[in-house]
Amino acid sequence: MSTVFASREQLKRQILAEGRQYSRGVPVSIRQVSIALGGRTVLKDFDVEIPSCEFVAVVGRSGCGKSTLLRSIIGLETLQEGAISIGRNAQSRPDVRIMFQDSRLLPWKRVLQNVALGLDSSFTPQAERVLAQVGLADRAHDWPATLSGGQRQRVALARALVHDPSLLLLDEPLGALDALTRIEMQELIEKIWWNRGFTAVLVTHDVAEAITLADRVILIEGGGVALDLFVDLPRPRARGSARFAAMEDRILQRVLQHRASAIDEAKARVNGNEEVR
Amino acid sequence: MSAGAMVDVPRGRTLASGNGIANIAERALPWLVPIALLIVWQWASSTGRLPSRFLPSPRAILKSFVELRSSGELWTHVRVSTERALSGFAVGGGLGLILGLLTGSFRWVETLLDTTLQMIRNIPALALIPLVILWFGIDESAKLFLVALGVFFPIYINTFHGIQSVDRGLLEMGRSYGLSRWALYREVILPGALPSILVGVRFSLGFMWVMLIVAETISARSGIGYMTMNAREFMQTDVMVVGILLYALLGKLADLLSKGLERYWLRWHPAHQSAR
Ligand SMILES: Nc1ncnc2c1ncn2[C@@H]1O[C@H](COP(=O)(O)OP(=O)(O)OP(=O)(O)O)[C@@H](O)[C@H]1O
Ligand SMILES: [Mg+2]
Repeated sequence: MSTVFASREQLKRQILAEGRQYSRGVPVSIRQVSIALGGRTVLKDFDVEIPSCEFVAVVGRSGCGKSTLLRSIIGLETLQEGAISIGRNAQSRPDVRIMFQDSRLLPWKRVLQNVALGLDSSFTPQAERVLAQVGLADRAHDWPATLSGGQRQRVALARALVHDPSLLLLDEPLGALDALTRIEMQELIEKIWWNRGFTAVLVTHDVAEAITLADRVILIEGGGVALDLFVDLPRPRARGSARFAAMEDRILQRVLQHRASAIDEAKARVNGNEEVR
Repeated sequence: MSAGAMVDVPRGRTLASGNGIANIAERALPWLVPIALLIVWQWASSTGRLPSRFLPSPRAILKSFVELRSSGELWTHVRVSTERALSGFAVGGGLGLILGLLTGSFRWVETLLDTTLQMIRNIPALALIPLVILWFGIDESAKLFLVALGVFFPIYINTFHGIQSVDRGLLEMGRSYGLSRWALYREVILPGALPSILVGVRFSLGFMWVMLIVAETISARSGIGYMTMNAREFMQTDVMVVGILLYALLGKLADLLSKGLERYWLRWHPAHQSAR
């Protein structure tokens, strides 16, 4: 990215001065949500308010319910309790797009047609442009079956980015990519989000990625919010900086702490059993 | 994809393709046994060991084929039989496809019809022949009915199954990308069910010829079956063998055609990718 963003507020003022529409983002409000899957509680009293245009990263161990959270936001899961609302009022039907954890390309459509899914043909140039941005312009007319896993993931990313949603949900969009491509794609996501100003929720395993991209990092543990951290580093963020490292360390410590306590609990259980014997 | 196993996987050449002689030998090898059989057969016929009222010699068969062709008789019979097969296939296959699409797509149609259709499926189609003759006489409609019946079930069942087993993840994806009901059907459900439907088509082509042969053998005034049965009255074994070979040829053609359709419509399928 060429511009150095001092703060989001500064950019907002600048864009407003240029007369552009600052944002199309919508707020998301998740209130006291509980979800059970296959008889097991996955989310319990989950409570998060996301203001419009915010970039939220969701981290947590595998199986903690990150995908379930995203799926519930677009209404693919039944809530046992609580409510989720998107947008400022109930009447508005905001445009929401999700990139699923598995790429879910239609195998019978060529790469470009997959990217342009649900758009009419006037959007084809735009689809081509985004496909080029994810580095796959030369594969536009191939079948998805001929792509590698990481390439499929990038096609799915392009498909999510070509739309102009007010809320974009990304479920581990870069999980299958090498370190270098990953950094390029992070820059792309940040740039597009910055220019369009939608609300974004990104699920990731990579704490550094979360801190690089997000305004706010949420750690899920035991079905609830274990940590809710604002990242007040100026963009673009340098991974090497001391504050970056401190923040990364803090989140990792919190994750490990949970593991430590889980081990302690297990030990206590074992000891307890021994005492009974 | 549930029907994945039924899709032809192009096999790579096993022998080194650079070696000319090995290549020719490999191509010739499969024909060795059939040619040897033909030679033995011809030899047995011409030495009188194989009586021609039992099985005519290959040369006699070839001769009668040429005669039938030049008199125009052959063409007429082939055309009539092909027309019967195709119209029966269109009626039975069309109905199977439509009903399969309906029961696969709408819960209530499935509840309404599926049990009935499954019960009817258990009746062997050939067991209906006495009734069919009673209903339709030895009319064209009897043959049409039998062929359509034979074709209906393989297509119906595979269409139904294909629609039911469309990847739910892709459906979710399609809906969340704003596809309307019809667009979802056209872009996701139908292409997803297509491999299975084509498997049904291939099965049904087999049934199509069986039913046609039976129907034409029982009663007909034209067609390959008629030609064969007529030849039996006059002990023309050569014509009978020509008829049998014609059925085999038409069956093979139909199979090639359906494979061609598969190769075109399923060219996106991973099983068809290794050719590139
Ligand atoms: N359809 C389902 N039926 C029953 N249980 C499910 C179902 N889907 C998910 N689960 C369970 O819900 C829990 C949360 O799953 P989820 O997919 O949200 O995890 P995740 O945080 O996205 O994990 P990962 O990082 O590995 O993708 C898991 O324990 C999983 O086993
Ligand atoms: Mg997940």
